Amino acid sequence: MSGSAGASPSRGRRRRDAGRRLFIATFIGPPLLLYAVFVLLPAVNAFRYSLTRWDGLGEPAWVGLGNFGAILASGSEFLPAIRHNLFLTFVPGVITLSLALFFAYTIHQRVAGARLFRVAFFFPNVISGVAVALLWILIYSTTDVGMLNNLLKAMGRHEPIAFTESGNLLWAIVPMSVWSATGFFMILFLAAMENIPETYYEAARLDGASAAGQFRHITLPLMWDVLTTGVVFLVVGGLKFFDAIYVMENGRPSKATHTMSTLLYSKVFQEYNIGYGTAISVMLFLLVLGATFLSLRLMRRERLEY
Amino acid sequence: MAPKTRSASRDAGSRVAGALRYIALLVYLAAVVFPMCWVFYTSAKSTRQIYASPFGLPGVLTSPSRTSAQPLIENYAKAWVGSHFSRYFLNSAFVVSVSLALILLLGSMAAYVLARFEFRGRKTIFMLFVCGLLIPMQLVLIPLFFQFSDMGEWLTRLLAPSARALGLGELTVSLHDSHFGLILIYVAFSLAFTVFTLTAFFRTLPGELREAALMDGAGEYRVFFSVMMPLGKPGIVTIAIFNFLGLWNEYLFGLVFLSTDRLKTLPLGLASISMQAQYKSDFGLLFAALVIAMAPTIMVYIILQEKLTRGITLGALKG
Repeated sequence: MSGSAGASPSRGRRRRDAGRRLFIATFIGPPLLLYAVFVLLPAVNAFRYSLTRWDGLGEPAWVGLGNFGAILASGSEFLPAIRHNLFLTFVPGVITLSLALFFAYTIHQRVAGARLFRVAFFFPNVISGVAVALLWILIYSTTDVGMLNNLLKAMGRHEPIAFTESGNLLWAIVPMSVWSATGFFMILFLAAMENIPETYYEAARLDGASAAGQFRHITLPLMWDVLTTGVVFLVVGGLKFFDAIYVMENGRPSKATHTMSTLLYSKVFQEYNIGYGTAISVMLFLLVLGATFLSLRLMRRERLEY
Repeated sequence: MAPKTRSASRDAGSRVAGALRYIALLVYLAAVVFPMCWVFYTSAKSTRQIYASPFGLPGVLTSPSRTSAQPLIENYAKAWVGSHFSRYFLNSAFVVSVSLALILLLGSMAAYVLARFEFRGRKTIFMLFVCGLLIPMQLVLIPLFFQFSDMGEWLTRLLAPSARALGLGELTVSLHDSHFGLILIYVAFSLAFTVFTLTAFFRTLPGELREAALMDGAGEYRVFFSVMMPLGKPGIVTIAIFNFLGLWNEYLFGLVFLSTDRLKTLPLGLASISMQAQYKSDFGLLFAALVIAMAPTIMVYIILQEKLTRGITLGALKG
C-alpha cells in the first residue's frame, strides 16, 4: 500500500521528464540540424577544400598548404585584394565613424527636427548594396545624367571625370560607403549617448567643465563599449566587401579593384580553381576572427563605473 | 568686467559653433535625401527628357496630364514587364517570406528551449550558434555549392524509385538553381543571429505565466505557442525586420545559387540590368527598376522605423 503510493508519483515524474526531454528534442533538433548541415559542415569543409587543388569535376589533389603559399607569394592577386579591403575598411570607416559621432552628438543636444534627422539619415541603410551601387553609378555617370559631372561642369570643368573607371573606383566607393553606413552608426551612438544619465553632465557643469571636456570625460568613456561594437561591425563589413565592386566592375573586377570576396568568387566560379578560392575564403575568415578579437582587445579599457 | 566679456564672447562662440553644426546636419540631410528623391522623380521621365535636363522635375509633377504621365507608365511597364521585374519581385517576395516564416519559427523554438530549460549540452549548443556569428558567408559558400550537388544526387537516388512506383516518371532533385535550395541556405544562415538574440530576449520574459499555464494542465507545446510566442512578439518582430532587410537585399548567395533568369530575386535582376551594356543608357528603365527594388524596404522602414531603431538601441546597450 505505502509502496504503491510512493511509486506512482515517481512514475508520473518519470513520464513528465520523458515528455520534457521529447519537447526539448523536438524544439532544438530541427533548427540545430539545419544549422549544422548548412552552416557548420560547409564551414569545416572549407578548411579541407583549401588544402587541395580541384577543378570541381575530377578528384581533388592534396596540396597541403600550397594554396596558402600561392596566395601569400609576392605578385599574387590576393595581396592587392587584401590591400583594397583594408582601404575600403579604414578610409570610409574613419569618416563614417567621425560623422556618425558628430551627428549623434549634435542631435543629442536636442536640436530642432531631431526626429527628422534621425529617421532620414538611416534611409540609405535599408537599401540593398546592389541598389546603392546602381544609384552611385548614375550619380557618377560620365553622360549628361551624372549628377557629379554636371556639378563639375557648372563649376567650369569641361571634361567629365570617369569616377568608376578601375583606377578611380576605390576612391569613388569612399563617399558611397560613407553615405550608406553613417546612419546606422549614428543611431547606435545616439542610443548610447541617451543612456548616459543627465546628472553626470549637471555635476560636471557645476564643476565648470567645458562642453569639450564633458564630451571627452563623460560621453566618450561611457559609450566606449558601443564604439567598440561599431568598430567591429565596420571592420568585418569592410573585410567582406563584395556587392558594389562586383556590380560596378560588371562582374569582372580587375587586379586594381578585386577585394578578397570578388577574387574568391571569380577564382571559383569563373576560373574553376576551387582549392585556391577556398583558401582565400579561409584567410578571410581568419582575418574576420582576428580583427574582431583585436578590436575588442585594443579598444578594451578599464570599464568605467561612476 | 573682463571675466564677464570673456564669458559673453564664449557664449557667442558656442552659439556660432552650434549654428555651424546645425548647418552640417542640414547639408548631410540634403546629401542623403536628394539622391533618393532624384531617383524617384526621375523614374517618371523618358530617357530623352533625362538627357535634356537631368535634374528637372518630370512633366507629370509640373503639369499632370495623360501625355505627361506617358514616360512614367512606359518606364515602369518596361521594367515591370519587359525586363521581368514583376518576376524578380514575386521571386523575392516568395523566397523572403517563406524563409522569414521558417527562421522565426525555428529560431524562436531553439531560443526558447535554450533560454528556459536546463539540459545536458545546452551550453555547447548555444556556443555553436554563437560561433555562427563569426562565420562569414564567403567561408560556407564554396563547400555548400558542392555539397548541394552531392545532396541533390543523394535525394534523387532516394526518391526516384518511389516516384517511379507512383507513376510520377523520372524524378531528379536539384538544390541548385531552385528557390527551395536558396531558402534552406537563408534559413540556416540566419539562425545564428536569430537564436542568439532571441535567447537573450526569452530570458528577460517573466516565468510566472509559464508556470501558471503548466499548473493549469497546458502541455509544453501549448505553453510555447499560446503563451510564450505572444509574449515574445516584440522581440520576434524586431528580429523579423532585421532578417527581412538582410534577406530582401541579399546578393552573393543568390548570385551563386540561382542562374536561371526566371528564378532570380530583385538584387540579381537589378544587378544584371546594371551590368549589361544594352541597358546602360536606357536611363528611364534603370531609374524605374531602381525604384522597384528600393521601394519595399523603404516602405517597411517607414512603417516600422521605431521598432527597427529600438532594436539597434537594445543591441547597442547590451553590447
